[in-house]
Amino acid sequence: MGTLIKNDSVAVRIREIPMLSAVVSRLLEITSNEDHSINDVSRIVENDTFLTSRILRIANSAAFSPIEPIQTVSKAVSYLGEKMLIGIAIGSGSGKVFRKPLEGYESGVGELWEHSLRTAIASREISNLVKKDSISDIAFTAGLLHDVGKSVISEFLEGNTRDLTSLCDQGVAEDFLAAEKTMTGTDHSEVGYQLAQHWRLPAALSEVIRYHHHPAQADEGHRTLVYAVHLGDIIAMMGGAGTGADSFAYKIDENYDKYIGISKEDLALVLLKVEVEFSKTKKFVFGSEEV
Amino acid sequence: MATIYVGVGEYAVSNKADDVIKTFALGSCVGVIVLAADIKAAGLLHVALPDSSINKKRMEERPGMFADSGIPLLINEMKKLGYNGNGRMVVKLAGGAAIMDPNNTFNIGKRNLLAVKKILWQYKLGPRAEHVGDSISRTVTVNVNTGRVFLSSPGRGEWEL
Repeated sequence: MGTLIKNDSVAVRIREIPMLSAVVSRLLEITSNEDHSINDVSRIVENDTFLTSRILRIANSAAFSPIEPIQTVSKAVSYLGEKMLIGIAIGSGSGKVFRKPLEGYESGVGELWEHSLRTAIASREISNLVKKDSISDIAFTAGLLHDVGKSVISEFLEGNTRDLTSLCDQGVAEDFLAAEKTMTGTDHSEVGYQLAQHWRLPAALSEVIRYHHHPAQADEGHRTLVYAVHLGDIIAMMGGAGTGADSFAYKIDENYDKYIGISKEDLALVLLKVEVEFSKTKKFVFGSEEV
Repeated sequence: MATIYVGVGEYAVSNKADDVIKTFALGSCVGVIVLAADIKAAGLLHVALPDSSINKKRMEERPGMFADSGIPLLINEMKKLGYNGNGRMVVKLAGGAAIMDPNNTFNIGKRNLLAVKKILWQYKLGPRAEHVGDSISRTVTVNVNTGRVFLSSPGRGEWEL
């Protein structure tokens, strides 16, 4: 136990992962700040020819069918919405990280991105229930990125999935995270945090990646956001979009209601919304489809 | 052999011997499997929520999403294949995975199962077998010819229900 990851092999893998492009880093940084404007966002996009042409193509595609052709970045950004733009930008730059199969979780090609996108939508909807904080934009992005550590740790778990689920099923490990820790000495949220540092992500996003299964441990300034993604993650699993063996193998933090007030009806409506929005958005986020 | 895939809120029935009906990764959703040996037919419904009154529009667009609007449709489809409504149909249930929430809000799996059983009862039907609750996701495969139902879960292999 605890021997599946040797020495600095995770750190080596993380160093091999390409940096986020300058435009994506800048977008994440700007949009994690509540006071930004749509012009700030447009200016960043305009500096990137590839992203500019991609979002103009998507805004003018049949799925979005604008009444008049959209010819400027600022119009495209306001038409598609900032969250969609972030999804497209992250997907264009780091699609590989999200699309590869997670063998260590017995999870197929594309399952991590489906789980991430559903978590993003659910986290945004959950954060809309929080009246005092405006966190819904960052909640979407945080939902997209929360499980990024799985793409790194998965290969080290390969061939040991049944041992991991046994540890959970027999109650030896309290959740899948603890099972990962037992077998490797680390876990996907810790590895994700290391990747977040490598990518120089804003603190709000790296807090979510690190503590999405244990939101009470997050820095107080970001705790509501971390709780929103904690619940968003669970909602994605409830809808059947987990990442294989670890689906449902986590506990809900009992104190979520101190940060997020959600009724049974709210939850049912969020589940429905995730189904509808996912079908609409999936083609464009992570850039897997031509438009 | 044709495999019929059933998505969230969808349902399918078949009486073609070489068909297989399949639904992936039931979380808190419930798979309602119906098997009518006398007419060599089987059906599968993937229910996501207990009660359609939460959203009438969605109910009209995709009635299979809800236990109360989906089960009558599944049974109706079986009737089109020859089921005479006498309650002689084997029902099996899978899914309804549990989230332990002291506030009870997130226990949708349990509420789905209760709603499904209540509606089935109105049609004189009850589950012969079930693999429900617990903290796992389940994929269901129904073999129309043999009426055998298999469940699988990543990291836990496959077993017969």
